[in-house]
Amino acid sequence: MTEEKKPEERKKRRTATEAASRIGPMVKATIGGTVQAREEGKPIAYSFICCCYDEIIRAMDIVPVWTENYAGVCGAKRDAQRFLERAEAENFSRSLCTYALCGLGFDAWREELGEMPPESPWGGQARPDMMLGSGQMLCDPRNKWYQASQRYMPDVPVYDVGLPWPPYEDDYDYREVQDYYVKYIVEELKGLVQFLEKHTGRKMDWDRLSELVDLADRTWNLIWETYELRKAVPTPMGTGDAMNTMVPMVFMMGTQEAYDFYKELNDELKHKIANKEGEIPDEKYRLIWGGGLPAWFALTDFNYFNNKGAVFPVETTYRMVEAIYHFDIDLSKITDPLEHVAWRWVKFWTYWYDKAKKRPGSHPDVERLIQYIEDYKIDGIVMHEAFSCRSWHVGLIWQLNQLKKVYRDIPSLILESDIVDISSYNEADTRARIDAFIDTLEAVKSRGR
Amino acid sequence: MPEEATGEGLAAVDRYHQDYGSRARELKRQGKKILGYLCAFVPVEIITAAGFMPFRIKGDVNEPITKADTEMETIVCPLVRSCFDMALKGNYEFLDGIVIPHACDSICRTYDIWKYSLHLPYSHFINMPHGTGKPSLDFYQAVLNTFRTSLSRFAGREISDQELTQAIGLHNQNRAKVRELYELRKASPPLISGTEVARVLIAAMSIPVEESIKMLGDVIEEVKQRGGVLAQKSARIMVVGAQVDSVAFIELIEDSGAWVVADDLCPGAREFFSDVTVTADPIEGIAERYLRKVKCGRTYREMKGNYEEYLEDRFGHMSRMIEGFNVDGVVLYIYKYCDPFGFEVPQIKSYIESKGTPVLYLEDEYSMSTIGRLRTRIQAFLELLGSK
Repeated sequence: MTEEKKPEERKKRRTATEAASRIGPMVKATIGGTVQAREEGKPIAYSFICCCYDEIIRAMDIVPVWTENYAGVCGAKRDAQRFLERAEAENFSRSLCTYALCGLGFDAWREELGEMPPESPWGGQARPDMMLGSGQMLCDPRNKWYQASQRYMPDVPVYDVGLPWPPYEDDYDYREVQDYYVKYIVEELKGLVQFLEKHTGRKMDWDRLSELVDLADRTWNLIWETYELRKAVPTPMGTGDAMNTMVPMVFMMGTQEAYDFYKELNDELKHKIANKEGEIPDEKYRLIWGGGLPAWFALTDFNYFNNKGAVFPVETTYRMVEAIYHFDIDLSKITDPLEHVAWRWVKFWTYWYDKAKKRPGSHPDVERLIQYIEDYKIDGIVMHEAFSCRSWHVGLIWQLNQLKKVYRDIPSLILESDIVDISSYNEADTRARIDAFIDTLEAVKSRGR
Repeated sequence: MPEEATGEGLAAVDRYHQDYGSRARELKRQGKKILGYLCAFVPVEIITAAGFMPFRIKGDVNEPITKADTEMETIVCPLVRSCFDMALKGNYEFLDGIVIPHACDSICRTYDIWKYSLHLPYSHFINMPHGTGKPSLDFYQAVLNTFRTSLSRFAGREISDQELTQAIGLHNQNRAKVRELYELRKASPPLISGTEVARVLIAAMSIPVEESIKMLGDVIEEVKQRGGVLAQKSARIMVVGAQVDSVAFIELIEDSGAWVVADDLCPGAREFFSDVTVTADPIEGIAERYLRKVKCGRTYREMKGNYEEYLEDRFGHMSRMIEGFNVDGVVLYIYKYCDPFGFEVPQIKSYIESKGTPVLYLEDEYSMSTIGRLRTRIQAFLELLGSK
């Protein structure tokens, strides 16, 4: 058994919005709820965020256990190392996704004990009845993690949903191929519904699914409109808070609770803007978090930026929605809920393609940065390279290089550590780099005065 | 048939292996278009049918990665970084285009970097699905038809079914020759060393398929004629891993006192032990082969039956090879940052060990700098095998 280690004391991040401060207790209650659901015999599914199946599992009253979220919680509580070490002892390389390693280490330990590992953060991660992976262009662990988990839970079935989107290419327009992408995704989602029906003994309520899909559409629009409010100067909310407020977006989509959360956040931001109440009193530098998941154990770094007069009105990370009414098709006319979800998926991932085509040498990811830089009056870019995750952290250097080529040179900083593994993080070094970056921003501002 | 490879099997192998890309360079000068590709999941049949030469981009364990780091994060698989470094340093200046498949995150997520940094006239991403069910197969056929159309545009002409069928025949012949070569490894001691086989397969990645067939045939004849020239060694080893496109690691094992007689590698058994079935629509057979027959960690095989049957479905070909090639021990050789194989290590290791064959798991960084450390581990493993 892995030796128990006491987590280091964790400093709590200071939030700007009341909404963000409510997230911690919400997540804690949700995780506790999954443990209770297990005791009550409700069907539980290990799930990944951004997998198109939020409304499907909600419509069937399946309780999702967001395994990435639990690993992030362990990381944020600085209590992931013992699970990472357990996974390493199982012969998983420490260079693999540390969300997955944390989850695998936890599962191996829980299955060995037949109960939660001692002092598991927030009550632990409930044993699932099924696991829902996915195959995308995004993330190998999404189809490898649960397959690997079956070593510890050989009785738990896995369904892997194929969710590709058309690549950005020069020699053809994605619209030439989008139909067969949608057709495939619909087939995969149908297979998922059959799988869930088989393993829960429940039947899909298609009317309810349609209602939840509609609710999710409205939530998408509301989130987009709410986040757009952050364009205000001074900005009422930064990325530090957004790393909290993303929770209803990615873990609660298709629920009324998520919609209500963003309605309240929207009201709060409007109130702050009306009162010219910024995230910090004296906003000097406006930055974009231009890529990479955050180091969950070091979210106070956002406060450190704030202390230097820097705010983040916008980020690309976890902004997993666009305004549905901006898509080039009218989604409201697609009444089949699975087809609707599939089109929303494809249109989300191809949203920036047309814009990129108009600027020689550009690319959708780069074009998105340019748009945000202009819309949010951005002075500099900060990214984070998490060593264990290739999904979101490969291509950052290249995007910055390309941005310089097709747009302009803009101060940038790439921080390096991890999402979960605190041993990769050096606070003094990180803050020294932030200091140097702030000096650069100041020098650039001075030249422009 | 071009003369370059005629009548000189192992000598041709040495030439192409030492000066990797030399034949492509020659053909380029003669007007042939060369398309570079990464990984065994690019259906080379379609490239051949279009009249282009498929050329496998490889890295170099002896070359420190320097230039690539200005564009590509160091958290990318070191093999992919090395390949990109070699390309940036001008080693593949003859390429007219690149084709990159949805193999793994390191390959998939760097497609744009390759495309925008090399500025080649042609680039294409093959969006291969992960699943192997009917919807995935149908989708993959559509993806391959998009590739066919894209290549036709670049070629300025249609790619006919007949040309595809012909190309399928050629690549199947090539695979059959490799399997014939592997048969020579079954003898004890083997008739051909693992290092020689690795060199042959690497050389074959860099020449047109017709020349590869001829070269392989010549190598087989030459080896048969020279007979049993190899000495007996202490153990027969199988290497399992992702793409091992350098002989250094195989050579290390053989220098340590064992023969490498089998593998589940690329290039190697993984990509040469299954053929494309000739179908009325040739794309159908191609899709079936790459999605369902090539067993690689990047593909998600749906579970059928119980867990033990699932492991058998995923790794049974390894145990059959262990038996068929009379393997004493397996070296599981995985690169750092390799998600598809990294997550499979505990399952592969326990599966093979459960069949009674010892496994040594090594994680490496695709660099000669680690050879010393690896040698110590391998020597200890061979001692362990010897004591059994």
